[in-house]
Amino acid sequence: MPPVLSVKDLSVSMNGTKGMVPVLEHLSFDVAQGKTMALVGESGCGKSMTALAIMQLLPEDFRVTSGSILLDGVEVLSASPKELRSLRGDKMSMIFQEPMTALNPLYTVGDQIGEVLRQHRGLSRRDAHAQAIQFLKAVQIPAADKRVDAYPHQLSGGMRQRVMIAMALACKPKLLIADEPTTALDVTVQAQIFDLLSELQDDTDTAIVLITHDLGAVAELADDVAVLYAGRCIEQGTAHEVIARARHPYTRGLMACVPHLQLGRMSNHASAELDEIPGMVPPLGARGPDCAFLPRCAFAGAICRAQPQPPLDRIDAGAAVSCWRHQEITP
Amino acid sequence: MTTIESTAIKPDKTALPVSAAASPTMAALRQFARSPAGVVGAVVLLFLMLATLFGPSIYGVDPLDIAGAPFTPPDADTWLGTDYLGRDILAGLLQGGRATLTVGGVAAIITIVIGVTIGSLAGFFGGPIDTALTKITEFFQILPPLLFAMVLVTLFGQTLTTVTIAIGVVSWPSAARLTRAEFLRLRNLDFVKASRAAGAGNGHLILLVVLPNALPPIIVSATLAIGVAILFEGGLSFLGLGDPNTMSWGLMLGQNRNYVLNAWWTVAFPGAAIFIAVLAISLIGDGVNDAINPRLRKRG
Amino acid sequence: MSDGLNISAPADVLLDVNDLVVHFPAGRRGMFGPPSKVHAVDGVSFRVRRGTTFGIVGESGSGKSTTAQAVMRLIPMTSGQIVFGGENIADFRGERLRLARSKFQIVFQDPFSALDPRRRAGDLIREPLDLLGIGSPREREVRVKQLLEEVGLPPQAADLFPHQFSGGQRQRLCIARAMAPEPDLIVCDEAVSALDVAIQAQILNLLKKLQRERGLTYIFISHDLGVIQHFCDEIAVMYLGRIVEQAPAQVFFSAPLHPYSWSLISAAAPPGPLRDRLKKDYLVKGDPPSPVDPPPGCRFAQRCPFVVERCRDELPILQVEAEEHFIACHRTGEIAPPDFASL
Ligand SMILES: Nc1ncnc2c1ncn2[C@@H]1O[C@H](COP(=O)(O)OP(=O)(O)OP(=O)(O)O)[C@@H](O)[C@H]1O
Ligand SMILES: Nc1ncnc2c1ncn2[C@@H]1O[C@H](COP(=O)(O)OP(=O)(O)O)[C@@H](O)[C@H]1O
Ligand code: SF4
Ligand code: SF4
Ligand SMILES: [Mg+2]
Ligand SMILES: [Mg+2]
Repeated sequence: MPPVLSVKDLSVSMNGTKGMVPVLEHLSFDVAQGKTMALVGESGCGKSMTALAIMQLLPEDFRVTSGSILLDGVEVLSASPKELRSLRGDKMSMIFQEPMTALNPLYTVGDQIGEVLRQHRGLSRRDAHAQAIQFLKAVQIPAADKRVDAYPHQLSGGMRQRVMIAMALACKPKLLIADEPTTALDVTVQAQIFDLLSELQDDTDTAIVLITHDLGAVAELADDVAVLYAGRCIEQGTAHEVIARARHPYTRGLMACVPHLQLGRMSNHASAELDEIPGMVPPLGARGPDCAFLPRCAFAGAICRAQPQPPLDRIDAGAAVSCWRHQEITP
Repeated sequence: MTTIESTAIKPDKTALPVSAAASPTMAALRQFARSPAGVVGAVVLLFLMLATLFGPSIYGVDPLDIAGAPFTPPDADTWLGTDYLGRDILAGLLQGGRATLTVGGVAAIITIVIGVTIGSLAGFFGGPIDTALTKITEFFQILPPLLFAMVLVTLFGQTLTTVTIAIGVVSWPSAARLTRAEFLRLRNLDFVKASRAAGAGNGHLILLVVLPNALPPIIVSATLAIGVAILFEGGLSFLGLGDPNTMSWGLMLGQNRNYVLNAWWTVAFPGAAIFIAVLAISLIGDGVNDAINPRLRKRG
Repeated sequence: MSDGLNISAPADVLLDVNDLVVHFPAGRRGMFGPPSKVHAVDGVSFRVRRGTTFGIVGESGSGKSTTAQAVMRLIPMTSGQIVFGGENIADFRGERLRLARSKFQIVFQDPFSALDPRRRAGDLIREPLDLLGIGSPREREVRVKQLLEEVGLPPQAADLFPHQFSGGQRQRLCIARAMAPEPDLIVCDEAVSALDVAIQAQILNLLKKLQRERGLTYIFISHDLGVIQHFCDEIAVMYLGRIVEQAPAQVFFSAPLHPYSWSLISAAAPPGPLRDRLKKDYLVKGDPPSPVDPPPGCRFAQRCPFVVERCRDELPILQVEAEEHFIACHRTGEIAPPDFASL
């Protein structure tokens, strides 16, 4: 079966004051039905830009400069505005990081979910309202038949994010893009939302692109992972493989610098120092041809300075990495 | 923002922009220079100011002297014609501009000083102080401004000073409300709390921390207040409540208003002067606004 | 409400907060009803020992920031005592309070809003020195350079404006500024929550280093249990304006006693079968209720899987359960805590 989403060699540039600046370079990945692909990386690495490119919602000044994005066999990049409108919602939809700003404060949540249904499925107002209640129930909002008439500001952050999910899933899209869906939420609520997403996925077989910097969430939800650094994919593979055996120094650094919770008697918090990745992600326009991670990399050697960044190199079925020294580094 | 990522050999913790950016004030000035409306407005206003400052001595005609027959239409001797007493209108414009522009500027300053003081105290302290000051502001706001100014001028005498003060006193409430809103928004921001934690007292917080950050919209409204004050002065003089002893554009309008049908130039030129000045000022206001709230300032 | 906590204050206690209450007005119930109040902090007591880190965890709205800002005397408090270095600073007013501020400082969550955008970094760091009259102007300049160095920024940083720095660098500036008057106590209110994990590790290490070098005391607020465990010696869990459990870190992460702590821990446990079991048994549903006019009884009763009749009527008081382990729950001892070892 062909993948629901197939991104090939996608590059995006920004038309800035100093000419075209690369934002995303040669990104490729597939997501199959019912599978979850996680995009991870620090702020500014291009995760949201990938999502917006797929949705064709890039801000002005940003252009896709190469590549193709096939959604269910249809080329998104050459779709007309009219085709795009029906693709969005019908075939793909997106939930955003900040559920407050993504909902219209002037309409009840029921109206907003109903609107999607009426537009894409031609339901009558009454049917749409009834369906909206069903969707709110599906995302486990208590007292859904009352909450359907609530305005966004009357709901808590967790409930708003549930409403966003209900809206995104209203037309049973084949692909759901979730851009840090829980960053703005409390930990207990985060856990609930992740559970909800994976339950809904089991029911509907939706393909999910999950953008996150929470590696715990990746381990729990994702089937595959792509690690982005400065607009380039530097490691890709099955979630299991990448988490168990990260090969790129950046991925390893990301995992080492998170203080993981340890439970039980042996919990020893006196671990003095966290491993840290020094420095920061190079800003747009300051990214040369050599390995973008070079200034921060503890393993950088002569070859890294002499050669441009290596292409993503498939190591085995489960992993690909872009690093000159991955063989020496990986135990 | 340009940042140079050093390709230092050792991992670099401290990649910083190579040089300090201009201060936000300088950046705003530069932005202003790029706004066509603002630049046109500024040039016109500058021209008006120079004309009223140096014009009278260059032109050399006393605006109170009889320069020709009453109601002489514009001709080679009296370029803009004469009024009902035969006084030279151009000389009047050059001389009267001083008073008009000064009244505009000073009244706007009064407006802003009163408005900002009351608004900032109300917004910063909140609670009963806010309630009291807001009540006062509302009281002044419901009084019809022109009527109120007329009462003030009638009570305290028709001098330029009274007129200026009256205009300031009736126009401050909107500035106060604007300032109060900005202060309410800003006073709870972390950097204000951070300053308090650093040992700042209320005076320091109001004047040096909150006010500078509240200034942008206040500056825009101050610019517009000048225009409003000029119109106001015109209005009062037109109603015969200006200072009869000081030549101003408004006074010229007022004294000649009965002859508009027989001698259009007696009213049209002062009217046009007011119009151009107010237009220039509102263009400047636009430019300032663009400079301070760049909607589409580009990154990268 | 601090009945359980009245053990005599040992000399090494730097901060002793007693029954702190902060209420905010919240309009009226209905048009003519009685005025409502947000019970943001409702009877919080705790002690912080010199040179240690006191962690506060809890969901958003549980009153962590309000506690922090009240202790810093940045917002008006309704009642309570804040004994800092032997003096009740809750009574300080005006000039006395202003000058006392040099000894307790705060670092905020959002490094983008905590720095005045119109002033250069150097001026911002120097501000506390200027305001509190510390050192001569020349000494202050030297001190600014030294502080920048300590937080890992080059001296040229002094001439830049806040928007020229990245998030992590701004947080370094905030830390330098808080360090400037040489305080004894620094409150870090979600100081690393807005940062990326890589930058978060840098800042946590920096804070640790400063604590080692200068014997600083921290109150460290976070909702990330992993970070709390790594960073804190003592942990207090807040729920709707009250502390529900307080214990040394070792104890808290091996034998927590409050149902709400179990829920927090199950949400943050490392992925695996343990987490799945914990989530099934202990993760609570729904959102925290509103702190506007909370009902009598246990604040957690609405969501607690172990609630009984008594919980809804009677407010549980924070009591000593074991040495230095405090807990506010009617059913402590009746319900079996999760056993991490056997899972
Ligand atoms: N509107 C914009 N104008 C200019 N540059 C932008 C704009 N939006 C994003 N960028 C830049 O594009 C790059 C990629 O940004 P993107 O939002 O995809 O990052 P991200 O990985 O999603 O980060 P985060 O974790 O913060 O959401 C960054 O360098 C960012 O600064
Ligand atoms: N200035 C204020 N006015 C009214 N309510 C407030 C104010 N500040 C905080 N609150 C309320 O007090 C409660 C506790 O807030 P806060 O201390 O910020 O929680 P936390 O830091 O734990 O997320 C919240 O319900 C919040 O909405
Ligand atoms: S290529 Fe070299 S510099 Fe880049 S990540 Fe690998 S070892 Fe480090
Ligand atoms: S007192 Fe009752 S409701 Fe509260 S935590 Fe304990 S068992 Fe749960
Ligand atoms: Mg993003
Ligand atoms: Mg908070």
